[in-house]
Amino acid sequence: MRLLSTAALLGASLLAATAGAQTAAPPTGRLLASNCFQCHGTNGAGSSFDSLIGQSVDEIYKKLKEMQVESPGNNIMKAHARGYTDEQMRQISLYFSQQRSSSTTSR
Amino acid sequence: MDNSNDRNQQVRRALLKAAGFGSLGALLPAIGCGGSDKADESTSFALGHSSTSATALPATGITGRVVVVGGGMAGAAVAKYLRLWGGSGVAVTLVERSASYTSNIMSNLVLTGQRSISSLQYTYNNLVSRYGINRVQGEVVSVDPVGRKVRLASGSTLAYDRLVLAPGVVFTYELGLGGIPGLETAAAQARVLHAWQAGPQTTALRNQITAMPNGGVFVLTIPAKPYRCPPGPYERACLVADWLKKNRPGAKVFILDANPGITAEVHSFTDAFMNVHAGVAEYHPSVVINSIDASAMTLNTSIGNIQANVINAIPPHRAGKVVTDAGLADIGGRWASVNQLSYESKVAGIHVIGDSAGTDQPKAGHIGNQLGKVCADAMLRALGRLTPDPAPVTNSACYSPITMDTASWLTAVFAYNPTTLKMAAVADSFREAESRSGENFSKMNKWFSALMTETFS
Repeated sequence: MRLLSTAALLGASLLAATAGAQTAAPPTGRLLASNCFQCHGTNGAGSSFDSLIGQSVDEIYKKLKEMQVESPGNNIMKAHARGYTDEQMRQISLYFSQQRSSSTTSR
Repeated sequence: MDNSNDRNQQVRRALLKAAGFGSLGALLPAIGCGGSDKADESTSFALGHSSTSATALPATGITGRVVVVGGGMAGAAVAKYLRLWGGSGVAVTLVERSASYTSNIMSNLVLTGQRSISSLQYTYNNLVSRYGINRVQGEVVSVDPVGRKVRLASGSTLAYDRLVLAPGVVFTYELGLGGIPGLETAAAQARVLHAWQAGPQTTALRNQITAMPNGGVFVLTIPAKPYRCPPGPYERACLVADWLKKNRPGAKVFILDANPGITAEVHSFTDAFMNVHAGVAEYHPSVVINSIDASAMTLNTSIGNIQANVINAIPPHRAGKVVTDAGLADIGGRWASVNQLSYESKVAGIHVIGDSAGTDQPKAGHIGNQLGKVCADAMLRALGRLTPDPAPVTNSACYSPITMDTASWLTAVFAYNPTTLKMAAVADSFREAESRSGENFSKMNKWFSALMTETFS
């Protein structure tokens, strides 16, 4: 079953491949959000640290902003959050809000 | 693997691998999930923990052949993301001479007996089975940038549209390249170890340390930066000091640094050497090593002559041989200059990532993973006739043991500066832990586990 679906996928992309035309730009925020994958898993799906999936844009953004303004002390994320602009935090939040749970499929 | 112009054949092979058949690496024991400091435990559940099911890859319309040379943190990540983001039209071949990757991260804990080397090893099985990466165990001996192919030691060639070189570093013992007089011979290098590439040298250094007598002297020499893992040498000094304190009363650790001061986590390591390990560790900045006598275990230095039981000399580094041989090490003959949006070197179609790339970002595994993702994104855009992301961001995070059960951390975010055309640290994010703690030590294990899972599965 897996073999069939993979074969269908490969076939489809081979057909699409022949044109050599410009392809679609990658999803906004994906490369930026990939900064989080090292600790929070591929696509934010969670690893040994928290999953970033299943929250709204506003929820993620609010958490990031709160971390950014608090004194870091011994909290690595509060230090890390200081490296991102407001616009970058919005893009990161948007990207994770669009990821589905327990999926490593990229979009 | 012969000249692989036949893309259909490659795709068919990838398909078989995606379905879990014919994987070269499947014959190897699945080793190392990380995360546990009880090394043998982490090896026992590794096989069951690893899923071999293929990940559905997106149909992007992007096609091309990419060869990745080097299966470390950067090479493994770029290979994974070329497939995960680029889809099945991007044929990715990962060439690595070793059967598995041995993590440098956490390898200082092998010196204290808290981890085993096998707990640090990761195979390429998941990259093959999940993402359909074509894995070739071999060594690239030459690059033909005009014909766009690489030649392997086996005599076969691999054609590419884009090539990624991620060979890590080699250590230089040549006197003209900053090598220490007295360490030119293989015999001297076998006695005075670097153990800066995790593997047999790490185990050998552990054995030298355990053979030390009470009141013995361990000397660590640190090269001028840039070197791999900026906090790593200081971390090592701390761990060795802590182990000696508990197991070899009266023993000393001398840290002889070529740099004018501690190069990373100044607050944490100053506290470590002045307070935590006071009386055991002695830190000396701006030290010139005039020579080392490996037979007598003596050092002639700018602060005097030292008789040691163990000398651990970390030599200067340079880009991996394949980068140097391809004529790409144009920064002081050591590192490859790259376009910091795409990691493309001065030769079109050849990208250099990881420790071999000459940027102001640290040479370390966490950021190596991120360079892999930035490079994958840029290459996929190039294959799809798009320009690179104009504002890439990379990040570094790591935990450093200060004792055998406490750790500090260091983090920084790097952003592209369109004026200097370089990646530069965002100043406010470049921070270290306020204080060492057991909680940080425990989070270090989680961080390592997460990072290795993200990179190798």
